[in-house]
Amino acid sequence: MARLNEDAQWIVLMGFVVSFSFFFLAMILNQSTVVGQTTAESVVEFPKNDIRDVRNIIINSSYITDNNKFAVIQQDITTLSLSRKGAVVSYSVTHPTGLDTYTHITIHYNNGVTEYNENWTSS
Amino acid sequence: MVNDEGQLYTIEGVAAGMIMLFTTYLVLGATSVYTPGDTHISDMQLEQIGTDALVMMNTPVNGTVKSNLTEIVETSRINATAADETFNTTFLKYVNERTGSESDNLHYMADVTYRSDLTDNSITSYQLACTHNRIMNAGDHPVRVTEWVIADKQFPGSVNHPRAVLVEVLLWRD
Repeated sequence: MARLNEDAQWIVLMGFVVSFSFFFLAMILNQSTVVGQTTAESVVEFPKNDIRDVRNIIINSSYITDNNKFAVIQQDITTLSLSRKGAVVSYSVTHPTGLDTYTHITIHYNNGVTEYNENWTSS
Repeated sequence: MVNDEGQLYTIEGVAAGMIMLFTTYLVLGATSVYTPGDTHISDMQLEQIGTDALVMMNTPVNGTVKSNLTEIVETSRINATAADETFNTTFLKYVNERTGSESDNLHYMADVTYRSDLTDNSITSYQLACTHNRIMNAGDHPVRVTEWVIADKQFPGSVNHPRAVLVEVLLWRD
């Protein structure tokens, strides 16, 4: 356009500026939806309450010292976790023996997305 | 540029353009796009309220007595109506409490799930309680909250054994 016709340079300039700005704004807007989606998914997928809850009942169940009764409860927790929450839960309790006066619990939790393992010791 | 006239006008024009762009940016930034993924925000709040209420019900006042929720589950094996009444009153009181005189409008449906057969590990659910004047409609969008309970009363398949059962609550607002 230079030297041919010098009218409306201002309009052309602003046209460029505005079109580039729209391009970047569109890019930002586009990314925000993707970010929202992935954040939502990771928040929804993380089983915070499930882990807390099952951990709580496992520790409570360790106070049952009768081996038969404990085995029934342990099987209850494993079965219900698998069928109602889709999580594989496995745990074992070691009661105080000899010089070791603490109760030790090994907890394994896995729902296919999140895995949680803990060695719990009574205090 | 062929000549140097109007430089100040050009600068002013560019400045005006910047101001316009900045205004657009502020306006767009002030509004937010509500995508389908954003529904988790209200869901999470509802889930937290429900979980808190159940944890409160499952916390005994001291180490020697049973928690409210444990007693309700145990009662439900003998007197389902009484269990329903107690659960309904306590749970609705916890979740619907709000600052001010107006209470919230949450509804729920509570089930108990237990292992009914000790050999093949099959499970069974029964209804523990539900909001009395409401049923869940197709338009409602519930969240599920759960709480484990160790109950002493007899569940089929065992004699004199305490059992771990799962209390599941569907909770929704309307």
